[in-house]
Amino acid sequence: MDIVTNSTDPTHPVLTLDGRFDAFETDAFRTTIDQLLAAEATDITVDLRDVQFIDSSALAELVRAMKHCREGNGELYLAQLSDPVRVILELTRLDAAFEIVQAV
Amino acid sequence: MITNDLSAYRRWAETPVSDPVEYSVVVPAYNEAIRILPTVGAIAVHMSSLGEPWELIVADDGSTDETVELLEELDLVNLHVMRAKQNGGKGSAVRRGMLAARGNVLLFADADQSTPIEQFTELLGQIRAGHDVAIGSRAAAGASVANKSFARKIFSKGLNLLVRYGFGVPFADTQCGFKMFTPAAADLLFRRQLVDEFSFDLEVLYLAQKFDLSVAEVPVEWIDAPGSTVDATKVAIEFIRDMAQIKWSDLRGRYKQVNHPKELDERLPLPGLALMKGTA
Repeated sequence: MDIVTNSTDPTHPVLTLDGRFDAFETDAFRTTIDQLLAAEATDITVDLRDVQFIDSSALAELVRAMKHCREGNGELYLAQLSDPVRVILELTRLDAAFEIVQAV
Repeated sequence: MITNDLSAYRRWAETPVSDPVEYSVVVPAYNEAIRILPTVGAIAVHMSSLGEPWELIVADDGSTDETVELLEELDLVNLHVMRAKQNGGKGSAVRRGMLAARGNVLLFADADQSTPIEQFTELLGQIRAGHDVAIGSRAAAGASVANKSFARKIFSKGLNLLVRYGFGVPFADTQCGFKMFTPAAADLLFRRQLVDEFSFDLEVLYLAQKFDLSVAEVPVEWIDAPGSTVDATKVAIEFIRDMAQIKWSDLRGRYKQVNHPKELDERLPLPGLALMKGTA
């Protein structure tokens, strides 16, 4: 999975993920999130339009990122969900836990 | 934004499919509570997008975790969960699912999505072209394999050499958990299948050869799933034992007969039962 960071606004960077988000990818995702939060970021948007599959480990990693954002009075936004990711969030009932937005 | 794929999924989730069912997807599951919901989601969206009536069958294998409960709580009307009282092995779960399936094309797929469901169409092309069986292959030219450890590659290669030259089954990969059948082929093979564990695939392909079925080996994308519960040493021993058992069963004429008669087939829950339960 590729992770591209756009920090035009360093307080609200946008991560664009591309590929399969599974346990093999969680370390890289965690490192990126932690680096952004350690810098200036408060809010983070994760663009998931090019992610077709997300497994339980990756869902747990998103929950962790959400908690860390909220601890700093920020928010983690999930944007442009692909259909499979939207349905996976619904079936796991995590759609109610995240802030889901249409556009980045 | 509601896309066509999402709309198709919503219809599938809420409206029982009418006969004839075109596609059946069978997923064997043993203690898959952690992994099963993302797999169901990915399969459901992709299969619904194909625009044909289809059903999803999860053949439980005696799970002791919450696999069955999680699935039943989804209330997806075309998801059939076949409970098993005890763990009988992956081969038994696949057989139960395949013999209960009603589709004109039957696929079984592993619960970890290691072969993404998007590969369905690749195998379907071979069935439409007239093959009786189409098997996903990680070793055929053009396959894409990711995250597979070097040790596992060597292990797979060794077993495959044994299968090819010691057993006479000429496929580069017999164990990929992504195989498609016509209903006639599934009926012929799974009613005779005797191996209930990991190497049931090998037996099914051995039988396909024996009964002169046409088998296409299709290169697929495959991503090793973290958390695999396969114990390589145990599997290797079982595999060799099962090869001997399959040959012995054949010599004794056990494949001339039906070993799993229709009268013993499990029935799928009636369409809509899940919804009725949810609204009662």
